[in-house]
Amino acid sequence: MKIIKQVAIIFSVCWISQVIEHFLPFAFSASIIGMILLFLCLALGILKIEHIQEKSDFLLSNMAFFFIPAGVSIINYFDVLKSNAWQILAICIISTFVTFGVTALFMRLTMKLMKRRKKEC
Amino acid sequence: MLELCKSPFFGVALSIFAFWIGVKIQKKTGFTACNPLIIAIVLIIGVLLLFHIPYGYYNEGGQMIDLFLAPATACLAVSIYTKLQILKENWLPILVGCTAGSAASMASVYGLCHLFHLDEAVTYSLLPKSVTTPIAVSISQGHSGIIPITVVAVIFTGILGSILAPFLIRLFGIKDAMTAGVSIGACSHAVGTSKAVELGETEGAMSGLAIGICGIITVVFSMFL
Repeated sequence: MKIIKQVAIIFSVCWISQVIEHFLPFAFSASIIGMILLFLCLALGILKIEHIQEKSDFLLSNMAFFFIPAGVSIINYFDVLKSNAWQILAICIISTFVTFGVTALFMRLTMKLMKRRKKEC
Repeated sequence: MLELCKSPFFGVALSIFAFWIGVKIQKKTGFTACNPLIIAIVLIIGVLLLFHIPYGYYNEGGQMIDLFLAPATACLAVSIYTKLQILKENWLPILVGCTAGSAASMASVYGLCHLFHLDEAVTYSLLPKSVTTPIAVSISQGHSGIIPITVVAVIFTGILGSILAPFLIRLFGIKDAMTAGVSIGACSHAVGTSKAVELGETEGAMSGLAIGICGIITVVFSMFL
């Protein structure tokens, strides 16, 4: 019964976020609304971690599994993948370097500025 | 005979077995490149092609698995919530780093797509590729990208990040664990985080936190596209 209740809670959050998505004046993915909604419920104490612990552990630890069908549907897009394969490869490699470098650089900069400020105070 | 594969049970069971084999192979070899999701996808496509099973038959079961995508995405909130304490203590550098990283990721992808003359659908499929799969898929979907391309690019980026992580840390001369962790999470989401966890506890927690923060920031950026 415990697990069923947890499933009900999480599915309700997902359903409510679909309702919200429907009424929002701009396009915003229901899954993201669900994430924000669940976070707010936890932060405001409406839900406790214990209420959803097992179900969310199950979903989070098997996350990759749920993407199998989405990945398998690449079978319908082989031609797109084939004709752009090396470009996609190059984009993934270059942007990984750029993203890592920029993140590290900005964090270091922020921490340096914070330290200098502390010293001045 | 083939008609029998139309049952949703077939697709679900095939997916679970394929994933199980993938997890086993990764555990045995210990290679990040042997990602269970990639192995499962390759195995299933192999079975479908080998036995001439139409994709639609498999997808009867596939749709059932798809149903869990939204709940799984929502549960990312739980993992952010449990790391709230570290975020509170270091919110400024983490936020600045993740914002800059997400912007750099999207800008570099956008620029390169233009350079390579890729069409709009492919560009939008690749734009969110540095964030975790559920968020990337929602963004790609919202901009009519090609979801399977997004999934493949996200996983590939993740594997790349986790393999390159130790090298990137040396390349950029990173000495503190927090910067290393956030940078890994920002460029290679959950797959990279699995590597960050191996590097140390702080690296792992920071990388995990960066997944959620970069995800949300990328969503916000993508709304202006």
